[in-house]
Amino acid sequence: MKNLKLSAVVVALILFAGFNANAQDGNTILKKLDEVMYSPKDMTGNTEIILIDKAGKKKTRKATTIQKGTDKRLFRFTAPSSQAGIATLSLPNDVMYLYMPAFGKERRISSSVKSSKFAGTDFAYEDMEAKLFVKKYTANLLKKEGNLLVVELKPVSKKSSYLKIIAKLDKTNYYPTYMEFYDKGNKKIKTATYKFEKIGKYWNAKEITMVDLKKNHKTIMKMSGIKYDTGLTDNDFTVRKLKQ
Amino acid sequence: MKQINIILAIFLLLIISINTTNAQEEDNKVKLSGELLTDQQFLLDAPNDWAWNENRLTLKFDKKITGNSKFYSEVWLRNFGLPNINSSTDLYNKGILDPYNMEVREAYVQLYGFLSEKLDIKIGRQRIVWGTADKLNPTDNLNPYDLENILDFGRHRGSDAISFDYYFNSEFSLQGAFIPFFQPANMPVGIFANALNPVMKLPEGMTLMGLADQINMPKYNLGESSTAGMKFKGFAAGFDFSLSYLWGRDGMPIATYNKFTPVDEIGGININTNLDFYRTHIIGADLAGSIGGIGVWAEAAAFLPDNEINMTTDLSAIYPVGTPIEMTMIDTTVLKKETYVKFILGADYNFSDGSYLNFQYMHGFVNERGTDNLNDYFFIRFEKKFFEDKLKIAPIGGGFIVSNWDDVSNNYALIYVPEISYMATDNAEVILSTAIFDGKGENIFANLSEYNMFMFKLKYSF
Repeated sequence: MKNLKLSAVVVALILFAGFNANAQDGNTILKKLDEVMYSPKDMTGNTEIILIDKAGKKKTRKATTIQKGTDKRLFRFTAPSSQAGIATLSLPNDVMYLYMPAFGKERRISSSVKSSKFAGTDFAYEDMEAKLFVKKYTANLLKKEGNLLVVELKPVSKKSSYLKIIAKLDKTNYYPTYMEFYDKGNKKIKTATYKFEKIGKYWNAKEITMVDLKKNHKTIMKMSGIKYDTGLTDNDFTVRKLKQ
Repeated sequence: MKQINIILAIFLLLIISINTTNAQEEDNKVKLSGELLTDQQFLLDAPNDWAWNENRLTLKFDKKITGNSKFYSEVWLRNFGLPNINSSTDLYNKGILDPYNMEVREAYVQLYGFLSEKLDIKIGRQRIVWGTADKLNPTDNLNPYDLENILDFGRHRGSDAISFDYYFNSEFSLQGAFIPFFQPANMPVGIFANALNPVMKLPEGMTLMGLADQINMPKYNLGESSTAGMKFKGFAAGFDFSLSYLWGRDGMPIATYNKFTPVDEIGGININTNLDFYRTHIIGADLAGSIGGIGVWAEAAAFLPDNEINMTTDLSAIYPVGTPIEMTMIDTTVLKKETYVKFILGADYNFSDGSYLNFQYMHGFVNERGTDNLNDYFFIRFEKKFFEDKLKIAPIGGGFIVSNWDDVSNNYALIYVPEISYMATDNAEVILSTAIFDGKGENIFANLSEYNMFMFKLKYSF
């Protein structure tokens, strides 16, 4: 009996140590992922968003994006005409503004919007949030699969609409290649496939394909004309700029 | 008419020149965008009279002059209203057969970093939007109200103005505006024409046979006619806020003199009215933020008339000569020189399934003045999107108005405006809705209870 107890303790210690090691590995991986995703000081670029419904019908939207650090982003639609000029400004501490040219004024967006879809795409505002992975998730390394690391991400915020995300990261460069999103009922609801390219010294997600499994709807987000470290300042991420 | 045709021709030339410019200077081109709107409304009750007929072409011209300046203009070209044909000669007049008009809504030049890096200025016809609430903004008083369509809440015209924004930093700024010439609000038209007119109570035995009025416009000099405003904006503790002050004139006229003239011997009278636009100070405050995921906002404006407004009722033509003046010239105070406050509180929430809820409580509509005359308005809208956001249904939309809490059953109004909109293409939206009114007592929406209507809109953006 005593031996059994001792064995149980040993097994528990091994499991705990293993869990800790995986968690530690996971968090180390997240930090490396953040280094890949957010190492540029700033970024400017054009975004093409292609929406494909289950019948294969396509719609295209275009936008310009500028971003500084991990928490400042200005996103402005340029097409289609019905949306041209609509812009969002994301600032630290969940502050987000929407500018609608038709109303001529900016408007604060409530944080409840974060769980809703971003501009009719399959991305939630939450997915688009430029926030460090280590701050958004806790991570656990599940396994290694060839040249990929399979990591389980659990949102820190209870407001997240996800229970977990299973991410596959390139083992060498730590950029994501594939993600699966699970709802609170542990049901897989979305997948994202990433194509990365290196521009200068930074890795850039040149194409992300998000698939809504329930609706069989797909969004392809393509980035082009990317420029890094052009010297954007905090003044480029103000309501003043949003309205220009 | 000839003048309008010339203006239209100039616009066509401008559009052609824009295309030329496109080819020549791709980087510095004039951007032309706009919208085509068809707005048709007719009454639900037989024989289903047309209530509104509007075909509007909105043209927007946007040009960066340099990296730090731009030109912007918005013009409406409209077929508006129904033809008023009374004689055969009208058949020779295309302007009567097919009424159209043109409006320059905005046309300004904006200079960023003017004199100082922190200063932006804007000169020309412009819309200066104040307030954080949704469409209904008691602090938004710089531009004249455009009340043409009473259901299009919050619509204003542009003013010929100079305005500036000085940015202390990314969170605090000061805005100033100066409008040299006063422009009154334009009143509702069509079936809404009398919606804002106050109910006239005549002494017993009198019947109104005719009504004429005369507007006393302020003199066109800076002292009489100008409007000025300042606003300090900031961000603190997670909330945007602003404090504002405006010195101007109320854009809706108020009666100051009524002359009663008998026209027969059985009590028929004509009334001649003088109307004035009174000076007022308006102190405003607003804030907007998010609490627990719910978007919240509040906005208030304190109105202080420059002077007490009295209305003289002249009955001298009714009473025999020699009647004491106390009986023939009766003064009534229609607006005291004391502060009254209009305000609005609102909240909205985005649900994860794509539905959206918006609620607002407002005290005091645009035409209401004086503490005792402000009614309470509760507005709500719930909408949900379907089929990849192509279809939007708002089954709950409208408001509840109370004009006397002591007797609600006889002093209320209900507005129910459900709406369905469908994005036929990326740029074409079809909107179907109805407006059902019910109510009793003295409030503008109760007065519309005979005008339940069906509305159809088509918007095409380009």
